Amino acid sequence: MTIGIPQALIYWKRPYFWEIFFKNLGLEVFLSPPTNKEIVEMGVKVSDPETCFSQKVYWGHLLWLDGKVDLIFVPRLKTNEEKLEYCPKFFGLPDLAKILVKSPILTETFDERKEKFEKTLRRLGKKLNKNRREVEEAAKSAFLKEKDYYPPFTLQSQPTHPKKELKKKIVLVSHPYNLYDDYVNLGIKEKLEKLGAQPIFIDKVPISGNQRNNQRNNQRKSADIPKFHWEFGKEIMEKIDTILNYDLAGAIEISSFQCGCDAVIKEFVEKKFKQNKIPFLYLIIDEQSGEAGIQTRLEAFMDTI
Amino acid sequence: MKPIITFARWGNYTIAFKTLFDQLGLEVIPPEPTNSANIAEGVKISPEMYCFPLKVTLGNVIPSLRKGANTVFMVQNIGGSCRQRYYGAVQKKVLEEAGHHINFLDFRATPKDVYSTIKKISGASTWQILKAARFFFKKLRLIEKIEKMAQFYRPREIEKGTTDRILTESFSEIEKVNKEKDFSKIKKEILKKFSEIKIGKNKKLPKVALIGEIYTVCDPAINFDLEQKLGREDIEVHREMDITYHLKKLIFPWKDWIIQRKINPYLRSTVGGHGRDAIYEMLNYVKKDFDGIIHLLPFGCMPEVTVRPILQKIHLESGIPFLSLSLDEQVAEAGINTRLEAFVDVVRNYYQSKKL
Repeated sequence: MTIGIPQALIYWKRPYFWEIFFKNLGLEVFLSPPTNKEIVEMGVKVSDPETCFSQKVYWGHLLWLDGKVDLIFVPRLKTNEEKLEYCPKFFGLPDLAKILVKSPILTETFDERKEKFEKTLRRLGKKLNKNRREVEEAAKSAFLKEKDYYPPFTLQSQPTHPKKELKKKIVLVSHPYNLYDDYVNLGIKEKLEKLGAQPIFIDKVPISGNQRNNQRNNQRKSADIPKFHWEFGKEIMEKIDTILNYDLAGAIEISSFQCGCDAVIKEFVEKKFKQNKIPFLYLIIDEQSGEAGIQTRLEAFMDTI
Repeated sequence: MKPIITFARWGNYTIAFKTLFDQLGLEVIPPEPTNSANIAEGVKISPEMYCFPLKVTLGNVIPSLRKGANTVFMVQNIGGSCRQRYYGAVQKKVLEEAGHHINFLDFRATPKDVYSTIKKISGASTWQILKAARFFFKKLRLIEKIEKMAQFYRPREIEKGTTDRILTESFSEIEKVNKEKDFSKIKKEILKKFSEIKIGKNKKLPKVALIGEIYTVCDPAINFDLEQKLGREDIEVHREMDITYHLKKLIFPWKDWIIQRKINPYLRSTVGGHGRDAIYEMLNYVKKDFDGIIHLLPFGCMPEVTVRPILQKIHLESGIPFLSLSLDEQVAEAGINTRLEAFVDVVRNYYQSKKL
């Protein structure tokens, strides 16, 4: 049996885990290809015009997989282990997917307010006719292997060549599905590197345990920044606090057009960087954004810092 | 500093909210009525990508701040997991950046939190608060009742425009009452006025329901008097969404469970806001044999946009005429009118074809 995983949106929340998990269960895993023009066009055609760009891309991937696999995996992510919610648009994904595609959808609700992640996995395994032991073993090795894919966070503090100038560090603030999808973000990482900067992805920045405690106290004290009930909101805010210690040259936030959550978070991200006098650029990406436009804005931004 | 209160406007219910603060002995500067100038002012300082109600409520509040108000009331968390939760935080931030130094009261929409916030700001006794709340609910119920009556009388009245005249008169009368003991008399008078409207003999009319996001559905200034427009086209308008409906849902959680059970074939989870309610209402209206559904939402509203494909699916399955209108500061009344005219034709055709 082959199981299809659309390589967009929620895939990037846990890029390797699902692949390994289903392989361990003895299923054939079929990923949709990296986003390309055809996929985006397919998605834009079928989706609601007002939904966010990232979701449109997801529908494109889903349609690409339709008919090519026996099952398509679309989990319903509700809350993470910290009991913080995911984006509300994720809640309806499986139901909307069922309307769009003819292939059967494999889904399970991951709500850690109600039950542990492992328990949900077992229920998911049951749908695939796997017994408890098989699922537990598959999950265990998937958890272990997943860790190997994440290298520890290092920042070049010393230039390798003494004569070479230290590269300007620029932090890219966004959701993983915008950061890692090179078609969607128009290869912003490469472009920045060519312009002589060192881009840092916000989700690679660690949160040290010590700092996390401080953070909580700080957040309580400063009423300016609300306590986010979204996992990414809290994460991004905490990681920005860490990254501020690394002497940044600038910050760029990328958000997809009509992303509701980013409309809220942007206000506070911008405020934080402005308080610390770090230049801030806000880029909105959608199906119409062109390479040239982004290039010009990045060049102008690099000149200012 | 003595608190001078202002708050966001919400359709005709603003009168009731004003009474609540008045009764508590607080000084209130009521928000300006929503018009294009106010909206433009709100849009100017609010985040571009945010949803429309934030911009409008900001536009309502700013003129009253200029008149001397220093405290803004904003309710938080009206609908679960949507952006409305951060209205307070964001509005406070942008107002401060625009140079207004204000006290922002941001509270959760639970009875306990509402009570403690009111207690803190007014210093009134519990008895006084309960009394004010009772008067508030009386007014609110009457407003909602006459709104519903107007929906019934508008298409049936013989002399066109009578209902709307009486409705406006009644609102100003309700606003004037500030003693609870006078209220029952006024109520009787208003109801009598409504019952004296002469109506035509034709009792069966095409029925259209309004569903969608609560703010856009309830505020006639935001949805371009949709109820009135449809009523004048001899169409009976129904809408379930109002403050009482919402409060009931807050206090009695089982309403949500019932809704979830009814919509299980379409959506198996909450999507925040009133997303589930829209599906539930639409299914309900289809069952009741309505002749059209209008779905209203602010542009880019997360829950409503998520459920819209599902509503469209129901529309295709049942064949009921369906119109979805996204409202924001860019939308012009002429555009809405054109779409509405076409929709009214579809509704009439559908109604006629059912008769045959």
